[in-house]
Amino acid sequence: MNIINGYPEYMMCSIELVEEKREANLNADIQPLTLAEREKVLNENHPDFMEGTRREVTVGVDKGKMMYGGIVDLLEARPIISSKDIDLSKVDFDVDILIIGGGGAGTVAALFAHENGIPAENMLIATKLRHGDSNSMMSQGGIQAADRPRDNPAQHYLDIYGGGHFSNKKDVIRALAMDGPEIINWHKDIGVMYDRTEDGNFQELSGGGTSRNRMHSCKDYTGMEIMRNIRDRSRNLDIPVLEFCPAVELILDDSGAVSGAVLFNMETHDVHTVRAKATIIATGGSGRLHLSNYPTTNHYGATGDGLVMAYHTGANLLDLDTIQIHPTGDAFPEAIVGILTTEKVRGLGAKPLNKDGDPFVFPLEPRDVESACFIRECKAGRGLITPTGMNGVWLDSPMIDIIHGKGTIEKKLAGEVRKFKRFGIDMTKHPILVYPTLHYQNGGVEINPDCETAIPGLFAAGEVTGGVHGKNRLMGNSVLDYNVFGRRAGIFTAKYVKNRTIGKLTLDHLDKYNRMLDDLNIKSGRKAPMLLPEYREKEALARALDLPMS
Amino acid sequence: MSDNETIQGSAENVEADINCEIPEKGTYRIYIMGKAYDVPVGLTIMKAIEFAGYQFIRSCGCRAGFCGACSTVYRKEDEQKLHFALACQTLVEEGMYLVQIPFVPATKAKYDIYDLKPEENTILSLYPEIAKCVSCNTCTKACPQDIKVMMYIQNSLRGNIAKAAELSFDCIQCGMCAMRCPADIKHYHVGQLARRLYGKYLDDESQDLKKRMQEMRDGVWDEEIDKLVDMDEDAIVELYKERKIEARGDLDKDCKEGN
Amino acid sequence: MDLLYYPGCTLKTSAKSLERTAFKVMESLGHRLVEMDEWNCCGVVASLTEDDLMHHLAPLRNLIHAQDQGYQKIVALCDMCCNTLKQTNLRVAQNEDDLDTLNSFMDKESDYRKSVSVQHVLEFLRDDVSFKVLKKKVKKPLKGLKLMPYYGCTMLRPRQVAIDDPEEPTILSDLSRALGAETVDNPYKIECCGSYHTIKNKEIVRKRAATITGYATQRGADAIILSCPLCQYNIDTRGKEAEGSIEGHIQIPVFYYPQLMAIAMGMDPSDCAFEKNAVDPARVLKERGIIK
Repeated sequence: MNIINGYPEYMMCSIELVEEKREANLNADIQPLTLAEREKVLNENHPDFMEGTRREVTVGVDKGKMMYGGIVDLLEARPIISSKDIDLSKVDFDVDILIIGGGGAGTVAALFAHENGIPAENMLIATKLRHGDSNSMMSQGGIQAADRPRDNPAQHYLDIYGGGHFSNKKDVIRALAMDGPEIINWHKDIGVMYDRTEDGNFQELSGGGTSRNRMHSCKDYTGMEIMRNIRDRSRNLDIPVLEFCPAVELILDDSGAVSGAVLFNMETHDVHTVRAKATIIATGGSGRLHLSNYPTTNHYGATGDGLVMAYHTGANLLDLDTIQIHPTGDAFPEAIVGILTTEKVRGLGAKPLNKDGDPFVFPLEPRDVESACFIRECKAGRGLITPTGMNGVWLDSPMIDIIHGKGTIEKKLAGEVRKFKRFGIDMTKHPILVYPTLHYQNGGVEINPDCETAIPGLFAAGEVTGGVHGKNRLMGNSVLDYNVFGRRAGIFTAKYVKNRTIGKLTLDHLDKYNRMLDDLNIKSGRKAPMLLPEYREKEALARALDLPMS
Repeated sequence: MSDNETIQGSAENVEADINCEIPEKGTYRIYIMGKAYDVPVGLTIMKAIEFAGYQFIRSCGCRAGFCGACSTVYRKEDEQKLHFALACQTLVEEGMYLVQIPFVPATKAKYDIYDLKPEENTILSLYPEIAKCVSCNTCTKACPQDIKVMMYIQNSLRGNIAKAAELSFDCIQCGMCAMRCPADIKHYHVGQLARRLYGKYLDDESQDLKKRMQEMRDGVWDEEIDKLVDMDEDAIVELYKERKIEARGDLDKDCKEGN
Repeated sequence: MDLLYYPGCTLKTSAKSLERTAFKVMESLGHRLVEMDEWNCCGVVASLTEDDLMHHLAPLRNLIHAQDQGYQKIVALCDMCCNTLKQTNLRVAQNEDDLDTLNSFMDKESDYRKSVSVQHVLEFLRDDVSFKVLKKKVKKPLKGLKLMPYYGCTMLRPRQVAIDDPEEPTILSDLSRALGAETVDNPYKIECCGSYHTIKNKEIVRKRAATITGYATQRGADAIILSCPLCQYNIDTRGKEAEGSIEGHIQIPVFYYPQLMAIAMGMDPSDCAFEKNAVDPARVLKERGIIK
C-alpha cells in the first residue's frame, strides 16, 4: 500500500476532494438541528438508543433501572474481597478524610479540605496509578465559566440543562454554573496559564451546545496545565498520597455510615485498611470498560471502580443508561484509534466532511447529537473505511489557519499537531480522520450540591458522580465539574468530620451483597471492581483492530 | 455496518466478531528487557508489550501521550545510539531493544506560590543546581515532546521566567531529562515553578473576571438563575430553544444588550 | 556598527542595569549591541580545568550560535563570560582533537569552524573606537574626580586571554583620563576581590573590599572604576556591609565604567541606574560639580 503524507493512496484521493471543495466549504453554513431533529438522529444512531446496549440491573438499590451492559456486568459481579478476608481490628491508616482517586476531583478536594482546616497529615489520597494519572490530565479543549459581560451564570445554567436533555439535578447544576467564575479566579491565583486575548482577558471559544463562548483553555493542554498545577500545590503542602494502592471496597461502621476503605497494594499485594471520618470517592470514569465495544479516550485506570464500591454500600447511581461518545476520536492511524481530538478543533473552525469532501452537519452540536450524525453518515456509506476496518469522517483542520492566520494550529493545538506528526501526518496541511469514541461517563453516584451521597460518610466528586450532566455533558463542563465539586467536597467534609464519631467497623455489606447475588443465582465468574483492563496477548490485537459500534 | 451492537461489551474480554489472527503484514522481533518476542507490525510499543503477555501496573497511564508514565529507552539492533520515546505513541520497529523507566526519584523544592516573588533569582534560589548546567543538551535530546529543555533551564537561570514558562509548556513530566542529566537537574520541576510564577504574577489580570467576581459577591445573578431553577419544564424548554447562539453571530445581529 | 552581544546570566539578573547603561553609551557612539538570538550560560571560569572537556561545551555552543548567526565576533560586557569564551576559543584553536570531540558530541549543532573571535567591550573601545575619539565625544569632563581603576582577575588572567598587561594594566586609567578624570594607582588594583567566596565566606570578601578601598582612599581617590559585575558587588555591597565591623573603613562609590562614560558624554544620571549602587555614587559627582 502506497503511503503519501501519512495516508494510504485511496485516502489521499478523498483528501484531494476535500481540498478542491475547501473554499466553498469555508463559506457553507449548515444549520443546527431542531430539538425534534436532534431526537430523531439520536434515536436512530446513538448507542443510547440501540438494541442490546443496555439491560436492567438485577441486584441492589437500583434494581430494575436500565444501565449499559458493561456496567451491569460489574454490578452483578462478586466483590473481590469478603468480610472474612480482612481483619478490621488492625487499622493501618486513621484519618479525617480519605480521598479515593488521585485525579482532578480528588486533588482539588484535598486542597480545599486543607484550606478549611484539615492538616495534611489527617488526609490520605489513595490512588490506583500515580498521583495525577486520570482523565483530568488528558482533557484538552477547555473549561466553561461565565465570566464575560455578554455571558452570565444563568445563561450557563440554561445551556447545561438543555444539553443534559433537561434531566440534570437543578440544585446541582445551579452550583456548577454559579461557582464557575470563582474556579477560574482560583486557578489564576495558583498560577494556571490560561490563553489570553490582546486586552488581557481570557480567550474564550465556543463549545458544542453552548450559547456563549465561554471555553477557557490552555492551548490544547488545558487538563494537563490545571492538573500539573494542583498536583504541585498538593505536593508543596505534603498531602499524603499512596500510589498504586486502589481502594477495592468501602468500609462501613455499625451505624451504616461509610468509615474508610480497604486498599490493595498492586505491587506487593498487601492490603491496607484505612479508617476515615469522611470518604470521598473521586475515581473518575469508566471508558476502559469499552461499553458498546467502543474504543476510548480514557486513561488506563478508568474502570468504574468507584461506581462498584459505592453501589456495594447501597448508594444509588443515576443516568448510566447513557454514555458520552465524543464525536472526534481519532480513526487513523491505527496506533491512535480512540484517542481524543479536541472539540477545540471544531471550535476554531474546522468542519466535518464526508468522503466526498462535503459538509453534512453543524460542527458544534452537543456531543451526542454530533456523534449520532457522524454515525449516520458512515452508516449511509459516505464515510471512509481505514485499512484496519475503522470508520471515519474528515475533520478539515487546515481551515483553521485560513480563518485565524498561519501558525494558529501550531500554536493553539500544539498537542494535536505533535500527536499526528509522530505518525507522519501534518494536520496543518491535511485533514484528520475521526469517529466517535467512548469519552465520558455522564452519570454515576448521585450527589447533592455538597457532594453528599445517599450513604452518610460517603461523598463523591468528579466524573464518578451522577446528576451533574444529566443525560449528556457539554464540552468544558467536566473540568468545571471536578473543580466545583472537588472544592465543595473538600469544604463540606472539612466541616462534616468535626462532628463525626466512628462506630465499629464492618464489611458485612459485602456479605449481604454476595447473598443478593446468590439469591439471583448469578454465577458470573467476574469480580469487581475491575482495577485494570485486560489487554494482554490477543486482547492487544483485538483492541488495535477495533471496529466500533455503528 | 457490522453487527457489533448485539455483542455486549464486557468488563474482561472482547468477544468481538473480528479476526484476531495476526495480519498479513507480519511481525517484528523486539527485545523487552533483553527477552525476544515476535509482535505484529503496526502496534505501538505499549500494545506490543501487552501482546507479549505483560500487564502494565507501572509505565502505563493515559495511553495517549499526555502523562509521561510510559517513558521508554531503546536502541536498535547493532546501533549504539539510545532513543527516548513514549511507548504509547511510538510504533515498534524490527530489532528494537527496549526498557521502560517506571519512576524517577526526583527531588522537588517545597514552596508556597503565595510567598514567592517573580524575581530574577527566585527559580535559582529554589533550584540552585540549575547553575551546574554544562549546556550539554542531553536533556533536550531525551525529551519525547521536542521541548527545548536546555533553553528553558538556561532561561530559568537568567531569570527570564516568561520565556522559561513558554518553552516548557508542553512538558508531560516524564522525567527522562532528569534521569539523563549529568548535573542531576530536575528540569520538569523547574519548568513547573516557572509556569506557576508566570501564571500567577506575570500574566495579565482579566478585568472581565474581576467585574464578574464582584457581581457574584454582590449576588447580582442570584435572582435570574433562581428564576430558571423554579421555572416549569415547558417554559424552560422554550427558553432553551429560543437561545441566541453567540458562535453563530446571533448576538451581533440584534445589537441589543444582554442575551 | 552592529556588534553581536553575548550577555551572560549576570547581565540579565543582578547586573541588568549595567547592560542598560552600556547599551545607551554604545548607541551614542554609533554602535548597536545586538543580543545573540540564542545563547546559554557560559559555564563560568572556575569550571575550565585542564582535564575536563565537558565544561567547554557551554562556551563552545555560544561560539557556534554566533557562527550560525553569521557574525565573526562576539562582544561581552561581563569579564568572566568574556574570559570563559576566550579560553574555550583558544583551547579549540590549539587542539584539533578537542575540537573534533566537542563537535561530534554536539551532533545536532553545526560544527565550529574556529571562525569567531571574542572581544571585551573595553577592548573594543580602546582598539576599535580609540580613547582619542572617545575624548572628543566627552561633553562633561569628569574634572576634579579622582578615580582608582580596579581590574580584578578575569580581565587579565591567564595571560593568554588578558586584554591588557597582567602586571601593569592601564586600560581603565587610560579610559578614565580620556573622560577627564584623574587617576590614582593602587597595589591592590589586580588583586582578587574574593570572587565566589561572597556566597559562603562573606567575611573574607568584606576584608578584601576594605583593603582595596583603604589603599584607594589613602591615596585620595573619590571612587573606584571597574568593569566586572562580581567585583562591583563584592566591593560595593560587601564593602558597605563592612562599614560597621571593620574599624575605620568607609566605602567609597564603585562605578561601572559605562556609568562614568554616560555622565561624561552628557547623558542624564537617570540612565546610569545609580539606585542600584549600594554606596550612592551621585553624591561625589555632585560634590565635584559634575552633576547637579
